[in-house]
Amino acid sequence: MKRVLTVAVFTFRELIRSNILIVWVCSVIGICGLSYLLSILSYGDALKIFTDLGLAGAELAGWMVLLLSLAVSYNTEMDQKAIFLQLAKPVSRGEYLLGRVFGFFTMNLLVILGTVAVLVFMVLVVNGSMPSYFWSSVFFMVLEMLVLTFLGLTYQMIATSMVRVVLYTFFTIILGRLIDEIQWLLEKQHAPILKFILTLVYYCLPNLDLFNLKDRIYDPTLVLGWTQWQEVLIYTFAYSAVVFIIGWISLEKREFR
Amino acid sequence: MIHSLLTDWKIRILIAAFAIQVFTSGTLYSWVHPEPFVAQKIATDVPSAVRAAGYLSGFRLLVGHLFWIRVIQYYGDIDNSLDRYAKLYDYCSLATDLNPHFIPIYTYGAAALSFHLKRPEQAVKLLQKGILANPSETRLKLIYAAIAYQNTEQYDKMIPFLEAQIQRGDAPEMLVNILANTYTKVGRYQDAVELWKRIIKYSDNQSEQIEAAQKLQSLYQTIRASELKPGSKALR
Repeated sequence: MKRVLTVAVFTFRELIRSNILIVWVCSVIGICGLSYLLSILSYGDALKIFTDLGLAGAELAGWMVLLLSLAVSYNTEMDQKAIFLQLAKPVSRGEYLLGRVFGFFTMNLLVILGTVAVLVFMVLVVNGSMPSYFWSSVFFMVLEMLVLTFLGLTYQMIATSMVRVVLYTFFTIILGRLIDEIQWLLEKQHAPILKFILTLVYYCLPNLDLFNLKDRIYDPTLVLGWTQWQEVLIYTFAYSAVVFIIGWISLEKREFR
Repeated sequence: MIHSLLTDWKIRILIAAFAIQVFTSGTLYSWVHPEPFVAQKIATDVPSAVRAAGYLSGFRLLVGHLFWIRVIQYYGDIDNSLDRYAKLYDYCSLATDLNPHFIPIYTYGAAALSFHLKRPEQAVKLLQKGILANPSETRLKLIYAAIAYQNTEQYDKMIPFLEAQIQRGDAPEMLVNILANTYTKVGRYQDAVELWKRIIKYSDNQSEQIEAAQKLQSLYQTIRASELKPGSKALR
C-alpha cells in the first residue's frame, strides 16, 4: 500500500507541475461568471439556475481536466519513457497502475470539490440554500469521476498514442451517457444478433446515467435511500474493478522498448 | 489454455466483478427510470435539436435553462407579435420537457398564453403538464384556477387566486399587472391604484413602469368621472 501511495503522490505532483490546475482556475472563473450572467438574464429562480449551471460546470470541468491529464501524462510516461524509471523500482505493475489511478483521482477530486466550494460560497453569500440532494449529486459526480479515471488509465495502458487515449475516453463518456437510448432500443423488436450486440454494449459501457443525479435533484419522485446508495457504490466498485484488471493485464503484457 | 486462463485469480475476479456490475446495472435501471421511457410524454410535435442535445448529453437542466432564456427572448421580441407569438406554447412545452421541475416556465408561460395572448386552452395544457410533474406545487394550482375563472369571465372569483399567488412573492410580474387590470374590471379602483403604484415603485423594468404610470393616469380619470356620478362606488 505504501508503494501505491508513493506512486499516487508522484503522479499527483506530476499533474500539478504540468499546470493542469490553470485549466481548472479558468473553468471556475468561466463557469461561475457564465452561470451568474445567465441566472440574471433568465426569468425565474436565479439561485436555482445558478446552482444547476454550476453543478453542470463542475462536471464538465472534471471531464476536461481528466482528458487533459490523460493526454499530458501519456506524453511524459509513454512517449518520453518516464514509465521506465518507475517500473525499474520495486513496484509491481498493478501497484503502479493503482497508484496512478489514485493520483489522477485526487486531482479530479480537487477540481470538482474546488468548483463546488466556489459555487456553495457564492450561493451562501447571497443567503441562498442548497437543494436537498445537492451533496448527494456532488458525491455521485465524484463516483463518476472515479469510474472514468479507472477507464481513462486503462485506455492509457491499451492505446498506442495520446490521441487514441483521449478519443477512446471521450467517446466512452459520450456513449456512457447514451445508455438510456441503448436500453430503449433493446426494448424494441430486433434481430437476436443485434439484440445480443446491444446487450453487450449496454453492459460493457459505464452506465453514466446512474451518476447523473444533478438532473434529478428537484424530482419529487426521487427516492435515494440506503439501498440505492449501496447498489450505486457496489456498481461503481465492481465496474472499476473490471476496468482496473483489464488495464493491469494489458500493462503486464505490454512490452516497453 | 482456457483452463489456465480460468484458474488465473485476476480473471476470476474480473468475471465476478463483471457479473456484479451487470446485476446492479439491471436493478438500478428501474431506479433511474421509475417509469419506462414513453415517447408520448414528450411533446413530439415540437422537433428540436436542443431537446436531443439535452437528452443525449446528460445535461438536461443546463440545456433547459439555456433554452428558457431563448424562450424569454422570443416573447420579448416585438417582431414575433405579428403572428401573436405562435410558437410560445411549443417552446414552453419544450423547455418543460428539458426542465420539468422549473416552475417559472409554467407560471410565466401560462400567464402569457392565457391573459395576454388569449389562448387559455394552451395555458391549461401547459399547467396540466406542470401539475402532473409537480403535484405538490401550489403556484400552478392557483394560476390554473385563475385561468378557469378568467375563461368564464368570473372575475370576482379569479381575484383571490391571483392575490394568493402574488402574496407568495415569487409570482411573475405580469400577474401583478393582470390583477390590477382585473381590479379595474370589477370596479375595485382603489386596489388597482395601489397595485399600479407598487409596480412603479418596485419594478426594475422601465417600460412596465411607464405602462403603469399611464394606467394610473387613466384610472384617476375614471375615478374622477365616476365620483361625479351620484351614488358612485368608485372608492369602495
